[in-house]
Amino acid sequence: MNRRARNLWRTVYLAPVAFLAIFYLYPLLSLFDISLRPAGQLDLSGFVRLLSTDFYLRTLLFTVYQAALSTAVTLLLALPCAFVFARFQFRGKSLLLSLATLPFVLPTVVVALAFASLLGENGLLNDLAAALFSLDYEPIQLERTLAMIIIVHVFYNFAVALRIMTGYWSAVGFTVEEAARCLGADEWSLWRDIRLPLIRPALLSAGVLVFIFSFTSFGVILILGGIRFATLEVQIYYQAVNMFNLPLAAALSLVQILSMLAMMIVYTSTQKKIHLALASAGAIARAARSWRERLALGSCVSLMSVLLFAPLLALIVRSAFVAGRLDLGNYASLAEKSRGSLLFIAPLDSVFNSLRFAGMAMLAALILGLIASYMIDGRGRLARFSDALFMLPLATSAVTLGFGFIIALDEPPLNLRASWLIIPISHTLVALPFVIRSLLPSLRAIPPSLREAAQTLGAKPFETVMTIDLPLLGRGLAVGASFAFTVSMGEFGASLFVAQRESVTIPVVIYRLIGDPGLASYRQSLAMSVVLMLVCAGGFVIIERLRAAGVGEF
Amino acid sequence: MLQIDRLSHAYGDIVSLRAVSLEVDEGEILCLLGPSGCGKTTLLRIIAGLETEYSGVIRFAGADIRPVPAHRREFGLMFQDFALFPHLSVADNIAYGLKRRRLERKLIAAKVRSLMERVGLNELGARDVASLSGGQKQRVALARSLAPNPRLLMLDEPLGALDAQLRDQLALELRRIIKTSAVSAIYVTHDQREAYAVADRIAVMNMGSVQQHDSPRQIYQRPASKFVARFLGLRNVFSTNDKRLDALLEGAADHSWRSAPSLLIHPAGISPSNEGSTRQIEVTLLDAIYRGGYYDATVAADSGLRLSFALKDLPVAAGASFLITVAPDAIIPLAD
Repeated sequence: MNRRARNLWRTVYLAPVAFLAIFYLYPLLSLFDISLRPAGQLDLSGFVRLLSTDFYLRTLLFTVYQAALSTAVTLLLALPCAFVFARFQFRGKSLLLSLATLPFVLPTVVVALAFASLLGENGLLNDLAAALFSLDYEPIQLERTLAMIIIVHVFYNFAVALRIMTGYWSAVGFTVEEAARCLGADEWSLWRDIRLPLIRPALLSAGVLVFIFSFTSFGVILILGGIRFATLEVQIYYQAVNMFNLPLAAALSLVQILSMLAMMIVYTSTQKKIHLALASAGAIARAARSWRERLALGSCVSLMSVLLFAPLLALIVRSAFVAGRLDLGNYASLAEKSRGSLLFIAPLDSVFNSLRFAGMAMLAALILGLIASYMIDGRGRLARFSDALFMLPLATSAVTLGFGFIIALDEPPLNLRASWLIIPISHTLVALPFVIRSLLPSLRAIPPSLREAAQTLGAKPFETVMTIDLPLLGRGLAVGASFAFTVSMGEFGASLFVAQRESVTIPVVIYRLIGDPGLASYRQSLAMSVVLMLVCAGGFVIIERLRAAGVGEF
Repeated sequence: MLQIDRLSHAYGDIVSLRAVSLEVDEGEILCLLGPSGCGKTTLLRIIAGLETEYSGVIRFAGADIRPVPAHRREFGLMFQDFALFPHLSVADNIAYGLKRRRLERKLIAAKVRSLMERVGLNELGARDVASLSGGQKQRVALARSLAPNPRLLMLDEPLGALDAQLRDQLALELRRIIKTSAVSAIYVTHDQREAYAVADRIAVMNMGSVQQHDSPRQIYQRPASKFVARFLGLRNVFSTNDKRLDALLEGAADHSWRSAPSLLIHPAGISPSNEGSTRQIEVTLLDAIYRGGYYDATVAADSGLRLSFALKDLPVAAGASFLITVAPDAIIPLAD
């Protein structure tokens, strides 16, 4: 590249960095500012209250407690399943593994409603049990319990843990295990001496990741738990929106940001260990033979299928059946604003909003992500630094982002508080890491010799990008685009802060409908959730089909 | 010691072993020699108890061992990729099998030390196995499988992961260590040189069946089938009724080859001859590749017959004619 081209690149490089500086770092710094200097001078009374008041300390403790519990239950269920998946081959295995990641793209509002439809007081299971055993009470009492929250966290994180451990286990292989068997190890020694020590890096890595996800869980707890089970995230939201106690909310956000940073550092270190160990040959899965192996396989497949499909089916059934009959009235009612609703628009209008915002966020995230990927793919310190920089939004909870937006971007020169633009911008921020993670592998897979060959054949740098890079990045771009679109469609935490009156998105509308009094609103929320679920599932299908061709690294 | 009787095995529709029968005597090293995919590794895994679906009988010291699970067979198996435990040190890898036998700690430590000495790994006990070289890993794997005094030692391409230079030397060393351990062994390889160096007897395998089971010398000098001859790199294989052979076979005393479908003119029995000796034919030297110490020569007779053999010196220049003679015992009948 000559000097002029290089200067051009440098200018282009500035775009994603500037975006991050304005819409990520600036709001975050504003949060720091307001938490440390609420009235323009250093004032730590917010923190003093945080630490001296039993209540907030208990909030933090509960956040850790529920995250640890969710992690433990998830790992306990995923570990044997990962072994079974790595060890045995069976029909539909890759489909099931792929479907298991569906929750990853499902919005929290949808999932919360789905579980309420299945396990709630008026849920499908209670109805079934009552009908089958003619009970006059509800045998399943999970509404507003910690157990319900944990179950939903398992639903979300099971596939993450399963994928990490299955992949690692397949890479580690089973010859080591066979060697131990030849040396006299029985099944018990195998687990204790070989399997658990071998899988430990993956177990640790999956554990930290699940812990992070559960630690920052917002929508699920807000909808299923209520203030009684408030975690840091929910407390930030309550303090900021209901109590309007901005300094306290900011102080809580600071605690949240610092905990996340610490956890991300731990996670990165566990990741390094995983990559280090993945040098050995892959394993060949075989068919399950003995009745024990078949039983283990059957249990895992059933567990996964029930966990995955039961709540989603319950949601569909609840939305489409009224009093035991197929009735699509719930869907028809979406076009009109129900009486007594706090919404400013008809639910269906939010679909238009969401599609519009998702399209814009997708486009912006693709352009910025593409440039950022080139930056990360480069050599030297800048590349390493930018890799960490662009992953930062992933390490910041959506609620913190949304909160940062409303306190930072509400005054000149950047007064976006009342503008709908703030929504696609926040979604771009959330989607950016996903786009970059989708593009990087494709970008790294392009051998430098291809570009050199193009150059020797007379292609200018820009022509090289257009004729070599972009065509080869096609799939990566498509995966990134689908991710950005799906993430934007389902984004809840940040949108809840920044969406105003007419600009509300589907997830926000669903949440408002749940809060509205009356059965009509609740039914509307069910129908709306099914619509959103189908949109996200569509995005998921596209992502998985493209990824089957080996694109994307997560 | 070990008796295998009509062992058959299939991976789905792909038959990997067809009624294999073999025996290994006490203290003997049997080499399974064959190309990749011939079933030799599968055979090892069945004997080790790692594959459990097959038909046939396996006896050890007279007892049927089919119902015995892998971890109770007390057979050592050295894996092709060594399968060292990555989370354990060198010494802990070697001690693993001893610990499973619940031996006393002191005894284990002493045993590990003596084994490390025997395989030449002194001082490396505390090392992480990931930090070892290929040759060192191979020694750890060998020591680990020998440590619990296995009743039978099996080695699956133990030198396969190493470069050619190391192999010759290590093959001899392996034989020495196995012999001093006085253990019966099955050694799997695809390399005939390695097999000659290590084995007391060789079983040549192809497509799931044993083609020949003999001493190394017998295998090379009297290959039993077309496959064995070709696998050993012996090139002068012809159909028995090939007309071009007539001049060569005229007046041969032994006619046992007539009933076989193919025959081999063993290159070791072909030599240039002086005028006047019996059963000689005139050939033209087509080309000769110098292999260091000898020439790999290809000649053609008037009948069109082409033969390859080793020549210490070139009697004539390429394109010129000379006389060769074929020893009577160099004509070897081959089964298909």
